Amino acid sequence: MKKNRLLFIAIFAAAILSACNKSFLDTKPTNAVPDDQVFNSVDNASTALTGIWAYMFETYFTFAVPGIKSLDLTSDAMGSDVALTTSYGFRDSYTFIEMTDNTKNRVSAYWTILYKTIDNCNNFLSKIDQVPGDDAKRKLLKGQASALRGWCYLTLAEFYSFGVTTSATGKSVPIYTDPANPATPGKPRSSVTQVYQQAISDLTAALPLLADYQRDATQKFKIDANVANGLLARAYLYSNQPAKAIDPAVAARQGYSLMSGDDYNKGFNDVNNPEWIWGQPQTPNQNVAASTFNFLDVSTPVAYYKSFKADPWFQGYFDSTDVRFRLFQWSTTGPGALLYKKFRFRDPGAQVADVVLMRSAEMYLIEAESYARTANNAKAAEALNALRSVRSSHPYNGGGQVLDSILLERRKELWGEGFSLVDIIRTGGTVVRKPFKNFNGGDSIINVRQPDGSVIPVRGVGHRTLTLPDKSAFVPNSPYYLFAIPLSEIQNNPNLNN
Amino acid sequence: MLQRLLIILLLLGPLAAFAQVRTVTGTVLSAKDKEPLPGATIVIKGTTKGVLTGPDGTFRLEVTDPAATTLVISYVGMTPQEVPVSTAPITISLQSSGKDIDEVVVIAYGTAKKSSYTGSVSQIKGAELENRQVSSITKALQGLAPGVQSASQSGQPGSDATIRIRGVGSINASADPLYVVDGVPYGGNLSAINPYDIESISVLKDAASAALYGSRGANGVIIITTKKGKAKGSNIDVRVSQGFSKRAVKDYDRMSTDQYFPMFWRALFNENLMSSDSVTAARDASRDLVDNLGINPYGSAFPQPVGTDGKLVAGAKPLWNDDWNKAMQRTGHRTEANVAISGATDKTRYFISGGYLDDQGIYLGSGFKRYTVRSNIDIDARKWLKVGLNLNATHSDQQAPPSEDSRSDNYVNYGRLMGPMYPVYQRDPNTGAYLLDAKGGRIFDYGDYRPDPANPRTNLVQTSGIDKHDTIRDDVSARVYAEATLYKGLKFKTSYNADYSTRVGHDYTNPTLGFDAEVGGTVVKGNYRTFSWTFNNILTYETTFDEKHHLNVLLGQEAYKYQYTYLQGNKSGFSVPGIDEPSDAALIGGFEGYSDSYRQSSYLGRAEYDYSNKYFFSASLRRDGSSRFAPDRRWGTFWSVGASWKMTEEAFLKNSSWLNLLTLRASYGGQGNDNLGPTRYYNYLPLYSVNSNLGLGGTFRENLYNNLLKWETNLNLNLGVDWAMFDNRFGGSAEFFVRKSQDLLYSRPKPPSIGYASVDENIGALKNTGIDINLHGTPIRTKDFSWNIDLNMTHYRNKVTSLPQQEIISGTKKLMVGKSIYDFFIRQWSGVDPNTGAPLWKVTKPDGSIGDTSNYAASSLYYSGSSLPDLYGGLTNTFTYKNFSLSFLIVYSLGGKVLDNDYTFLMGLGSAAGRAWSTEVLNAWTPTNRNTDVPQVNSVAPSWTGTSTRFLYDATYARLKTLNLSYTLPKTLMERAHLNNITVYVQGENLFTLYNHKGMDPEQTVGGTTYYRYPAVKSVSAGLNLSF
Repeated sequence: MKKNRLLFIAIFAAAILSACNKSFLDTKPTNAVPDDQVFNSVDNASTALTGIWAYMFETYFTFAVPGIKSLDLTSDAMGSDVALTTSYGFRDSYTFIEMTDNTKNRVSAYWTILYKTIDNCNNFLSKIDQVPGDDAKRKLLKGQASALRGWCYLTLAEFYSFGVTTSATGKSVPIYTDPANPATPGKPRSSVTQVYQQAISDLTAALPLLADYQRDATQKFKIDANVANGLLARAYLYSNQPAKAIDPAVAARQGYSLMSGDDYNKGFNDVNNPEWIWGQPQTPNQNVAASTFNFLDVSTPVAYYKSFKADPWFQGYFDSTDVRFRLFQWSTTGPGALLYKKFRFRDPGAQVADVVLMRSAEMYLIEAESYARTANNAKAAEALNALRSVRSSHPYNGGGQVLDSILLERRKELWGEGFSLVDIIRTGGTVVRKPFKNFNGGDSIINVRQPDGSVIPVRGVGHRTLTLPDKSAFVPNSPYYLFAIPLSEIQNNPNLNN
Repeated sequence: MLQRLLIILLLLGPLAAFAQVRTVTGTVLSAKDKEPLPGATIVIKGTTKGVLTGPDGTFRLEVTDPAATTLVISYVGMTPQEVPVSTAPITISLQSSGKDIDEVVVIAYGTAKKSSYTGSVSQIKGAELENRQVSSITKALQGLAPGVQSASQSGQPGSDATIRIRGVGSINASADPLYVVDGVPYGGNLSAINPYDIESISVLKDAASAALYGSRGANGVIIITTKKGKAKGSNIDVRVSQGFSKRAVKDYDRMSTDQYFPMFWRALFNENLMSSDSVTAARDASRDLVDNLGINPYGSAFPQPVGTDGKLVAGAKPLWNDDWNKAMQRTGHRTEANVAISGATDKTRYFISGGYLDDQGIYLGSGFKRYTVRSNIDIDARKWLKVGLNLNATHSDQQAPPSEDSRSDNYVNYGRLMGPMYPVYQRDPNTGAYLLDAKGGRIFDYGDYRPDPANPRTNLVQTSGIDKHDTIRDDVSARVYAEATLYKGLKFKTSYNADYSTRVGHDYTNPTLGFDAEVGGTVVKGNYRTFSWTFNNILTYETTFDEKHHLNVLLGQEAYKYQYTYLQGNKSGFSVPGIDEPSDAALIGGFEGYSDSYRQSSYLGRAEYDYSNKYFFSASLRRDGSSRFAPDRRWGTFWSVGASWKMTEEAFLKNSSWLNLLTLRASYGGQGNDNLGPTRYYNYLPLYSVNSNLGLGGTFRENLYNNLLKWETNLNLNLGVDWAMFDNRFGGSAEFFVRKSQDLLYSRPKPPSIGYASVDENIGALKNTGIDINLHGTPIRTKDFSWNIDLNMTHYRNKVTSLPQQEIISGTKKLMVGKSIYDFFIRQWSGVDPNTGAPLWKVTKPDGSIGDTSNYAASSLYYSGSSLPDLYGGLTNTFTYKNFSLSFLIVYSLGGKVLDNDYTFLMGLGSAAGRAWSTEVLNAWTPTNRNTDVPQVNSVAPSWTGTSTRFLYDATYARLKTLNLSYTLPKTLMERAHLNNITVYVQGENLFTLYNHKGMDPEQTVGGTTYYRYPAVKSVSAGLNLSF
């Protein structure tokens, strides 16, 4: 019996010894890795750029904020040409009560995405030089990280302050170029000129690093020299340095011819479109960015919200010969909305559509605008007409200001691609929203011809919101056009307005 | 073994081995329920020699003194009895002397007598839980113990309530108490425990009682002890009950079709007025009304049912006025059956039970079925060795459709928010008659004409029967131990305890009808497995010396390991309807899975000492290492000291005629908390999250790490007094507590422009101060009739005492030193502008003065009351008359506010065409109704339902939680039928509720916000308990 009792003591002692085993308390995650496993070779380090890119595009903040692509929709919802419905999503952006409200999820979402990407780039750039591996690849990755950070700063410069022509020293957003640690203090807002300058210097630094990079045709989401040039052209144009924008705009479109009229009518959902310089492809199991089509796509049944209806007045800017004009169609069910069927799901069952980030048409328009702003109207008209002719639209032949024609052409060509609010802010312009009434103030009745020849009369509905939230008229440089800085930044960054 | 130990304690010296010995054996029972009384004292009259009864109530006493003639049998709370010494076995039944004041309570790693225990513990007996119609024990805890706050925010069958003990001691880290089942922390699902298997529940509230659980006891401990076999022989217990359930409180009042149409007309009219004159505006509103709502329930005879005067045209009668809310609900059925066999032989005690529960929800497609088996066996393997095994296995199948969140397929919201003009079944637009299919059945209306807010192309009334939202759980829980007596009073116990839990989630929406028809249906299926074990080794030593000194020492070691692993995939596009597994669908939407692991290693010790059963002291120490922290920060030390003074044992009170018990208690100590959250195990490591883009592997820095993280500490002070008077008929306890938490594990906000909105740090401190009071009495006690009353109440205040920055705003709350984490910090409603009908909120202007603004975003945030009740608790009354017993429990919560977001959905101003409207909107501002709390309706008005004090309501309520009427058949009758007991009863849950804000169930979260949840149900059941 004594022996048995001793056995118990032995078990007890053994148990205590086993629990003393030091490694018992060491655990590791299985869905994350310590940073030294990322930055131990150039190949592994490259995952850090892929990862932050996927974070930007494939993270739902809400179903109305499916990643950074939804910023483009916000920009158009706050412009003149989209007559948004009251469906879920962008209705409060459209009425200018969302982006001025620093408590809104959308306000903090874009800020979060852009600055998290910036810090990931900062972290990457600070570490990549010490990582062993192939130098050519290292160079290319540095170029991509630098350009990605440049794009983030360019985006921030566009929305958080008025354009440089309105106020070059206006306070925009903070600039960070070093990786953050828990002690990193918030920085003060830099001027809009400085933020554009940061974008330009990042993009300029990227260009030579990307010079030798031949992008795989299936990887149009990767930043190459064309993309960096295109971003640089935007940055120069938006920061009112048009002379410098021309060369990068031309360089950016090299190898990307304008698409045919048929391709324009294919739904803007395929990254293989010859005109797309940059885009994020989507698949059935990676389709967060594609869910922007739930709002943009107004004609595919599977689209949930179909809220991006066109302002009927917008249709009037097109020649009837224009390949883009064919995309208009009046809805004959429900309130009479004008559908502009530019965006359509490629695979409705899987809710898949690639999303576009840069096209050569935009580069023609940057080139044209830059010539116009440097008083070279002939070259401006030439670039503008290069696009117009492909779209089967009447060429510009001197009627009115060429600059106005180019800015209008941007609205027509780039509708739904995110340039509306950018153009309004950077040019010191105004939102224009007119009620859709006939000449004597009555309803506009549209007779919609059906395929069988019959005619259905539709009472056209246009803009719902015709004034700013305080009931005042839309004016140039209204503070309602700017994105608010999120409340959490204001509360936690004491240096913000220093 | 216990017996042997107690002999040593009580005989106080060696037995006289040479005297002639008479051996007395027998059993001590409680007269009331014939249950054996373990621990009853049998003493030879006039001496101190005696024994205690064993776990089965039996004793064996050797009487060496030939002169001894009488034995005195006593038990705390019972009237002592004297019997002559005889050698024939005797059975003694002791009568209760009133409330059982000296009950034995289960505490950390052992048991204690409540009247002398230094710590704070409330015990709930199994009998109080047995007849409750709840599927999770967490829901039965409400109102039964002071200091325990239970918020059962969901009425979904099988869901748990949130339990908070003495307030929230942490801001970011978990505030859940530790659940301990049969002595060891429990890692399974709480709903897997059959309430009927429970012997008792102890709630440990202070440091002295909980500190021995160290790091894991910071938020209090709930110890669940399951039943064991007691009496010799075997007893079979059968229980069945059957009941019905409905919504406990009526939902919000909503407009009828006849109210809705003129109101929506007005919204359109007011919109039109913004751009045209009133004649045109009225004309257009009348013309567009049906277009906007998508339907004309008044039939084609009234193409414009609302005239230009804004009133229904004469003669217009709606052909239907459907209540979707009603259509989504039903009367739930509840069936429960339990069988248990328990008993004991010489060396074995056993309890074996099986349970079945079918709890059908009141919303379509919801319910909970559970099957449980339990086997608790204890064996005296050797004189010095005891072994035991408790095994529980539970299988449950919960149907839990979405009933949280504002998603459009939320089953609770769907019916509530659908306008009454939309028919559930297809109707003839001219006559209102049902359209019938070929078989003569009604056809569900999917309403593709409905506007977006009325969920076009859906009909959950039908698809709730086709779609699937199932959670299948399997839980197995084992407790195995061996306890050896190594030397007099020295024992060693080792135990291995495992909890295995697996959950299969299966959500399916069909490919042909409703929400996901466009994508061909969807399926999400996942398997989630947790396995945890605790291995502990405990050495205890108990001794008494010099007759008056009693010492009890415990030393131990414990290791804990938790593993979680899951995998989940989703697909869409079913080939054919009627099959619902992932293999039947075409497109993979996603496939995920990973594992987490968490470990703890601990050393613990406790010493308890008492002098003359008068002065009691205890101290404990525990060291815990947690895998959540960096190696050099991982260990924390937790401790407690406590003392109590049983004043009624002092000479000056001992002979008091009316005071039976007076004990003063005090304790102080520190416990820890390392629980940053269920998915945050490795926050001290510089991690990159893993993702991918189009087949390429990706990693990114998602969060900042902090390798300086360490334990959060709770320092608890508890002062208490217990008393009993007048033959123990009245008594109670009062406790004052201060619960300070420091080094709070908190996500400290950072400016998001550095890339990260927060970093986990140990920052700040907060304090909960309060009192718990428990009063009980037996105002009437006669032979046939008795009335027992039990009242408990808790009041506490919460205060932030230190922060690293002046203020931290998160959600609807703002943290500041001196304020509470429960204080709402939201916009202040300032009424409706009588001149314009616009909503107004308060704004602090740059000059510091306060004015009004109609711009919600521009208005300022203010402290606006607290979600914390002033007082909460429960009141139990039990009446017994002969064999009848009537008892009821009223739970109450006085004071505090709740922010009702659910209601805001019904309070729109007309921008959501087709969504149901609260009748309160009928009182909207008009030029002739200027003094109102509802702004002017206008179909393009900006939303006014954002968070503000407009929707902050008083949360005070009282609820008749349970009412039970039972009748036990007379013994004589039963004996003839060879039965021990037959009881029949009827029982109601949540039968009656007193509350303020109609429509909202008053039981919401501790934080005081709603979340579109499944409301509480009321139920009535009848049952039969049979024992033979």
